Amino acid sequence: MEHIYKHKKKLIYLGILPAFLLYLGFVIVPIFISARYSLVEWNGFSPPAFVGLENYAEMFGNNVFWRSLKNNMVVVLASVLGQVPIGFLLALLVNQKIKGRHFFRTIIFMPVVISAVIISLVWSMVYNYNFGLLNNILNFVGLESWVQNWLSNPDIAMFSVAAVIIWQFVGLYFIIFLAALQTVPDEILEAAKIDGAQGWKRTLYITIPLVKDSILASIVLCISGSLKTFALIYVMTNGGPSHATEVMAIHMYDNTFNGMKFGYGSAVSIFIVVFGIVLVTIVRNLFARFEN
Amino acid sequence: MINKKNSLIIFIVLIVGILFTSSVMAQETVELEMWHAWTGQDAFASEVLLPKIEEFQENNPNIKLKIQVIPNDSYRTKLRTQAAGGQIPDIMQTYPGSEVQPLVEAGLLMDLEGIIDYWTDDLIPRDSLSAYTFNDKVYAIPAKVNYTHFAFYNKDMLAEAGYTEWPETYEEFKVMGDALKENDIVPISLGNKAKWVLQSIYISTIGDRLTGIDYLEDVLAGERKFTDPAFIKALDVIKELADEGYFNKDANSLNDMEMRQAFYQKRAAMFFGGAWDIGGVIETAKEENMNVGIATFPQIEGEVAPKALSGVTGSAFSIRSGLSEAQKEAAIKFLKFFYSEETYVDLLRTGSFVPAKVDLPADISPQFQDVINLVNEHQIGPVYDAVLPINLIQTINNGLQSLTAGEITSEELAQKMQDNL
Repeated sequence: MEHIYKHKKKLIYLGILPAFLLYLGFVIVPIFISARYSLVEWNGFSPPAFVGLENYAEMFGNNVFWRSLKNNMVVVLASVLGQVPIGFLLALLVNQKIKGRHFFRTIIFMPVVISAVIISLVWSMVYNYNFGLLNNILNFVGLESWVQNWLSNPDIAMFSVAAVIIWQFVGLYFIIFLAALQTVPDEILEAAKIDGAQGWKRTLYITIPLVKDSILASIVLCISGSLKTFALIYVMTNGGPSHATEVMAIHMYDNTFNGMKFGYGSAVSIFIVVFGIVLVTIVRNLFARFEN
Repeated sequence: MINKKNSLIIFIVLIVGILFTSSVMAQETVELEMWHAWTGQDAFASEVLLPKIEEFQENNPNIKLKIQVIPNDSYRTKLRTQAAGGQIPDIMQTYPGSEVQPLVEAGLLMDLEGIIDYWTDDLIPRDSLSAYTFNDKVYAIPAKVNYTHFAFYNKDMLAEAGYTEWPETYEEFKVMGDALKENDIVPISLGNKAKWVLQSIYISTIGDRLTGIDYLEDVLAGERKFTDPAFIKALDVIKELADEGYFNKDANSLNDMEMRQAFYQKRAAMFFGGAWDIGGVIETAKEENMNVGIATFPQIEGEVAPKALSGVTGSAFSIRSGLSEAQKEAAIKFLKFFYSEETYVDLLRTGSFVPAKVDLPADISPQFQDVINLVNEHQIGPVYDAVLPINLIQTINNGLQSLTAGEITSEELAQKMQDNL
């Protein structure tokens, strides 16, 4: 193995180069440009004025920002505690030799490939107070008292939205886990079976440790994806009612493009990046400690 | 090898050919990039403005318009963002007042002073161009006057609740609302997800009436304040409409299209909309056999300008500054063709109000004649989002939603606006 790499190192770098350049130009460099913008007050037209850390001070003093951070944490928790376990359970199920598993595989993955805008529109209809599917079903089975104003009630709107986010991305983690499960060698499972490990025990002590790298990767993906969440909420509620579903990305968008506060918006973006790095680092450390 | 060589020669010939033809074409045709927000759902666009653009294209084969149509809600954001990057099209629809002002101040738009006589001589009074005039220079020509406030009500539903007439006063209006609620009818259909509806349609007229039509200018000049009791009272009216349940419960999660649908499907007795809704309502009423009345908000006690109706000129095109001579000539030719007397007469016919002094066509529909009479009883007042600077628009749009969701009080919102001034 090693000497193949040695000879082809140059080729490998060459192959990575185009993607790396694009990544550099469209991801890394803009982060630094944003960091610079976050130190100015700028409406996009008049010349930017340097204000130091004032944008950050304004951000930390803004109730709406804290609310958006809280809402974002709801999304992160819903994703990590919802998408990952559900995706894993579904993967375990479909990994059995059951009938129609190809069908289930496609169905479960489907929401991932549908555009977020379409999902949002469909779910807006499901949640509609008057003729939505959800309220209609509740009425039909006699649970009138459970009928809710799913997207207009500030107390529950965030959870309604979070449920859709879980629904949309379960399929992604399901596919990752399914691929991981298929790499677990049958011999090991059989050996465990002979040693007397049955059912859940086998999953808990054999399967999960063998796919833990995938689980870690999924959680990291989940956190970063949740911090970026935008389109679905933007279409479903536009951050409303009264900031009840405003996440950081929407807070950033609203202030940047509706309020024309490019400096403030950049400060929020930078916070999202830093916050994401911190969260991911914590999770990685937790995993490392868990391993030891 | 021969094959390869041949294909290479063919390739070169093709490339040279393409280059050659395009350079020849460039000498003859002028290309203009154009953006507008007319998706063609409304009569004024589908029957007048869009055919007008097509007609211009047919008459002028040497002027090529590259058109991008962007729906209204995203159009403003897109233009603003592109303008911040200094990249705007050659001809673009611009929005009045504080929306177009930053573009003008950044020097992105061409002033039309050199050709303005074409319109101001006897077609359009200079006053009607004020929303696009900065430092005494005009930067766009509007096609329409958009009154942003009308009440569209279902006469039959009101009659069932015992009302054959539109209520005169706000107090009566509330009693009527209660009667409708008792009949299990939602009094007012509202869709405020996009947040501009309560501001543009509601507070603009209600505010203008209670505070007077010079109020916003006075506030911006520092002579009055948003914490003025008259403005707080205007906010209280909206809060009361929400708190007393006159709106549908899911108002904050519906868009303005769903708001109209609820009215058409007879799930609500009325909705408040703008002049852009008139054509659609009249047409739908005819198709659905609905008996629709059009009015404005009833009189509120303590009004300073009882007949104020918020309105602003719109559907205006601006030209980018820094065009080449040929492009400039073509763009001016387009404007002169597009904003002609004929256009304004056609617009009147579709139920639009126009800033130009043209005679009403004789074949105008009686329903629209009624609306014109209604408008003539009123005086035009400012629309909030055409006057306020953009950060205040954002504050009031978000604030009104919070107000109806019961998250803040009128006083708090007024104070917040004063703080953000």
